Amino acid sequence: MTQPFPPPGFIRVESAIPGIVVYAPAPEEDEAQPAIVEFKCPQCQATTAYSVVDGGLRCAHCGYYEPPARAIVGKGAQGFEFTVETLSIASQAHGWGETRQELQCQNCNARATLPPGRLTHTCPFCGSNRVLQQAAPQDALRPRFLIPFKIEANACRPIAENWLSSSWMTPKSLKQSTVAGFMGIYLPYWTFDTVTLAEWKAEVGHQETRRRYNSATKSWESHTVTVWRWESGRVRKFFDDLLVSGTAKLSRVLLTQLQNYDTHALVAYEPQYLAGFLAQAYDVPLEKAWEEGREAMRAATRKACRDQASTSQIRNFSMALDFSEESWRYVLAPLYLAVYRYNGQPYQVMINGQTGAIAGQRPVDWNKVWLAVGASVAPGALLSLIGLLGIVLGALLPPTLAVGMVLLALGVVLLIAGGVIAFNIINKARRMGDA
Amino acid sequence: MLELWETEVVVAVCPHCDWRYVVPTEKATLRCPHCFAADLEPVVDDVEQLPYLRPPELVTPFTVTKAVADKRIEEFADGIPFAPRDLNPETLRSRVQRLYLPMWLVDSDVMATWGAEVGFDYNVVSHRERYSDGSGWDTQQVQETRIRWEARVGQLERHYDNVVAPALEQHAAMEQALGAYALDVAQPYAAGDLARALARLPDRAPEAAWADAAPTLQAAAGEECRQAASADHIRQFRWSPTYTGQHWTLLLLPLYATYYLDDDAEPRPVLINGQSGRVFGVRRASMQRAQHTALIIVAIAAVLFLLSLVAGVAGLAAPPLLVVGGIGGVLALCVGLGGIIPIFRAWQFNRKPVETL
Ligand SMILES: [Zn+2]
Ligand SMILES: [Zn+2]
Repeated sequence: MTQPFPPPGFIRVESAIPGIVVYAPAPEEDEAQPAIVEFKCPQCQATTAYSVVDGGLRCAHCGYYEPPARAIVGKGAQGFEFTVETLSIASQAHGWGETRQELQCQNCNARATLPPGRLTHTCPFCGSNRVLQQAAPQDALRPRFLIPFKIEANACRPIAENWLSSSWMTPKSLKQSTVAGFMGIYLPYWTFDTVTLAEWKAEVGHQETRRRYNSATKSWESHTVTVWRWESGRVRKFFDDLLVSGTAKLSRVLLTQLQNYDTHALVAYEPQYLAGFLAQAYDVPLEKAWEEGREAMRAATRKACRDQASTSQIRNFSMALDFSEESWRYVLAPLYLAVYRYNGQPYQVMINGQTGAIAGQRPVDWNKVWLAVGASVAPGALLSLIGLLGIVLGALLPPTLAVGMVLLALGVVLLIAGGVIAFNIINKARRMGDA
Repeated sequence: MLELWETEVVVAVCPHCDWRYVVPTEKATLRCPHCFAADLEPVVDDVEQLPYLRPPELVTPFTVTKAVADKRIEEFADGIPFAPRDLNPETLRSRVQRLYLPMWLVDSDVMATWGAEVGFDYNVVSHRERYSDGSGWDTQQVQETRIRWEARVGQLERHYDNVVAPALEQHAAMEQALGAYALDVAQPYAAGDLARALARLPDRAPEAAWADAAPTLQAAAGEECRQAASADHIRQFRWSPTYTGQHWTLLLLPLYATYYLDDDAEPRPVLINGQSGRVFGVRRASMQRAQHTALIIVAIAAVLFLLSLVAGVAGLAAPPLLVVGGIGGVLALCVGLGGIIPIFRAWQFNRKPVETL
């Protein structure tokens, strides 16, 4: 053999049989991950931070720029299997630290205590940025990929103000209030890829018109009957990057409203991306998130099955579903968080750091709401009253009796329609307030 | 070199099939236990020039006794319709000979560099769901074993003992017929081993047999490398071995050989593994005997027919005889048709694939 032995990249490993030497490929060592990464400008020693506009590190002091070391991987980002080993480890430990961390700023010696799961720290005294990288219990369980920020922090204010004035239900004075202090944070997400294979069967109802001879009236009458027939089918549904939030610290309702992240923008994790932002490790373990993801997938698969039926009248529906080719990823996704005050009350706003989608709580002007409710119910009520009056008057003036009855009927119909509209308005207002 | 056998032996050769044996002197003119077509002839000239005359180091003893072998022969001969006249337990038993077949065992030191892909089993969790309108979702967790393949290379310095290498050109065919032998029970050769048996001389040199031993060695080394890597599977094992200190051992394997003559008077061997008792032989019905029986039946039918004819003619005079003639005619026809049965039985039996018991 002319090649060197052992080949490059192989290291000697334990052998269970004397006389046999075994070499294995050296485990892929991610470039030594320092526990704490500091961001200092090599030119002027000032603090650098990730610049959303430039997509890399930028020194605000001298303009020094450092592009990110890794390229976009998008949907090609490596997925991991649900091995028994990973699941058991992931259920015990959290991604990167679960206790509070004590930290001393290398720059100004200020001490700080970080809440559990915090992955970054910006010193409140000197403004220096740090990314913390404790050892994860398993390599796959540290954030391996992230979606970088695409929306700038100062673009958030117009988005939020526009949104505040976009609903008629909010108080007029809200338009004047400002939302400031948007804080960029990387949130933990689990993404899941799966193929579901389902077989279903059900009785599907079909409307058929039958003619019948009525001996009493001596005539043919037609009537419709529902005929139930068994149907069955197969569904194969591919789920690509289904996102499930990895944190329970923020409102699920709001998060799902702006979860429209595009995973084509995934990049391999680099501490640079986190410089100057907050970042949080997961606190919802993989298994629990996977359960949530599966519930969403099976519900979607069940709907796809029911959609295959030839009509929407379905009974005795049953199905069997197999999950296959399951894989998962632990990623970080960008979000801006802000709290604004209105009448002394705090309200939360969130903006998707990639797409700019916004969700949050808004105060509701209940006077406006009740006015709208009244307006939608009023025509029906009024018409019904007039109709009643006409009926009562019919005792004296017979022709009004018929008019009254017609008006009453019309009024009742309008009243019902108005009620439905009012119900929707109240619901929407309530959702807006306490989301 | 024959004196090394420590018993009175000569070399004998079969003029028909050319197999060469070492035989006890008093058995030098036996029927050849391979082709059974000729009697052995002692080799007189230049005996010492023949290759591989040295006695074997090891002998796998007969563990199947003559009594058991006889019983297997009886089972072999049993249940064959219209068996050839020569295929009967008595003749088969009377012709049984004890025979040893040679086999090489090689020991070798091996030094090599090797490479392979080794596989490790791991379990992944998946889910199956059932849904029905009545009872909602029912989730079932399932585990599936997958293999993670990884590259390994290494060096090997091992000694391998008793790697099997054929000493006969027909070794593979013999093994197919007789089944495998357990080699760990082999004992050192003793003079008494050849007292009642013949020993076939090797016709393959160790050098030639080495070509067959090398793959076996590679397979053994591959399996050891798998164990060394603590892996569950191995594939694409490749190595560049250097062999030293090869040592060859000759081993004898026991069997009983007998034969019967078929319809064409051709000898048909019946072999019994002397260790496991497995029987190899062709069990066939004799078409000749079946035809013979058929002919007799047809003859009876013809006689019957003639008698009926006579009865029929007589019936012209005495009408009741006409009935007897009619019945006789029908009977003759039936018996005549029955003549096909023996031929059919024999044909059907011979259609079955060659059996080993
Ligand atoms: Zn600088
Ligand atoms: Zn012969």
